[in-house]
Amino acid sequence: MNSPVIELRGLSHRYDTDPVLRDIHLTIEAGEIFGFLGHNGAGKTTAINILTTLIEPTSGTAKVCGYDVVTERRDVTRCIGYLPAEVRMYGHMTAAENLEFFAKLSGVTDPRKAVAETLDYLECAELANKRVGSFSTGMRQRIGIAQAIVHRPKVLFLDEPTSGLDPLGVRQLRDTILRLNGDLGMTVFMNTHLLSEVSKVCTTIGVLNHGELIYKDSIEETTRRFPDEASLEDIYVRMETAS
Amino acid sequence: MIATIASHQVLSLRRQRVFLALLATLLTMTALAGVLGWSSHQTIVRVYDEAVKLLASTGKPAPPNPFLLKPTLSLLSNMVVYIPLIGALLALILGHLSIVDDETNGTGRLVFSRQITRTSYVLGKIASAAAVLAVVLAASLLVSVASLLVVNHTIAVGDFGRLGLFYALSWLYLMVFALIGMVTVLMTRRRSIALLSAMGAWLVITFVLPQFTSGLRPTQSLNPITDPASTSQTFFKVTSKLRPYSVVEQYKQASGQILQTATAESVGQTIQRILPIAGLVLVLALVTVRLVQRHDFSRSANSE
Repeated sequence: MNSPVIELRGLSHRYDTDPVLRDIHLTIEAGEIFGFLGHNGAGKTTAINILTTLIEPTSGTAKVCGYDVVTERRDVTRCIGYLPAEVRMYGHMTAAENLEFFAKLSGVTDPRKAVAETLDYLECAELANKRVGSFSTGMRQRIGIAQAIVHRPKVLFLDEPTSGLDPLGVRQLRDTILRLNGDLGMTVFMNTHLLSEVSKVCTTIGVLNHGELIYKDSIEETTRRFPDEASLEDIYVRMETAS
Repeated sequence: MIATIASHQVLSLRRQRVFLALLATLLTMTALAGVLGWSSHQTIVRVYDEAVKLLASTGKPAPPNPFLLKPTLSLLSNMVVYIPLIGALLALILGHLSIVDDETNGTGRLVFSRQITRTSYVLGKIASAAAVLAVVLAASLLVSVASLLVVNHTIAVGDFGRLGLFYALSWLYLMVFALIGMVTVLMTRRRSIALLSAMGAWLVITFVLPQFTSGLRPTQSLNPITDPASTSQTFFKVTSKLRPYSVVEQYKQASGQILQTATAESVGQTIQRILPIAGLVLVLALVTVRLVQRHDFSRSANSE
């Protein structure tokens, strides 16, 4: 049995008076690729914002790699990588300069070497000395992944990573996630709408509906539990309409 | 981490065309200040020489040339205008660019998901602004010295010290605007609104406030006596109380003392003029730190 790398206990959050997350209890174990599903505004990004220490929860606790996101923020940030939706990075700087900056902020001892290795790993070394401002969405996304893994985190948070990508880009991203999980043993927490990709990549899914976690199980168990549904999309729609 | 943020910011600014254009303008105007000062001085001396010739032709004695006693640094008196205009704009842009990418491009979310505290982040940003302004003004100082050497052929050792003091004061003054540039981004969240707000603050400080203080009583600027008229009216009582807080006026007056272009006053009085500027820098720095500590960078991105 793997140890949990993400633990949410009674996690709630509200913006002003609007509740966004309600009493979430969730455990994700090491090595999982977790797909967090839900309609727009369900609270998925808020959950990632809390787990990446960008905001503090209104109540409840959240732990990543055993560290509390509020009281042990520095320890949490050491073991996570994060790629937000539609991140643009510093457009007038080269990919290597961007990555070196984020490597330094992550405490990497030899940032230049780490950047070169990461770009090689992602097979995009040719982008190193080009300015990010001139990149296409797909190229930006690859550099975005590079900044998220340049310090070799244990947990990778991806917020709508397929947003704006063409089918080839989506496939490349899927392959990258599987490699990161397989080669480097990274646990992946991914917010997404692209259910076809979820079924190909994720080991576990959770469904968030109006701030409440209404479902969490492995992909295998999910398909077994809903034998009448042809695809994950059908299962998801059934869950959403039922709730 | 402070050094990482600061060095990244310096590298970033080197790539920003707006910043580089303003820097080039400031340095050009610095060079021109010396030439313009020398040109106007030469014109006055020529008029004096013509007057001497005229007096000599009529057999009248000529008074000694009063303009020969004019301090060398007075040739740079235009710098006291260029710094609050071009220098302050450059500082505003510098402060604005320091934060705006992290606020509107979403890079703030990437930065704060790393092992950096918000205090280190904001101190790095302030340190980079301070360092960049120091380098900019050092370059301007070198251009000033060069232009003085070209037009005057010599600079006294004491004048070097005064020039150094003038540029140190200018650095303090420009820090006000660099911090305003940062504060407006943090308060407004939008690139264009932030820039407009910063420009508004610059206009108020540079043009509006002086109009409500010395601009209303021009005789006091020329002649340091109490205004004989209007001082009993409430409006003038209020505006006279504003005067110490008109930092551009305090800067110009203190600079005038340092460059020896204004009526001499005691060192204590000059220090009293500098204190409001230093106080404003301190207050704005504290506000910037507080705003960054409370700012929700998770909501920053794609705001335009």
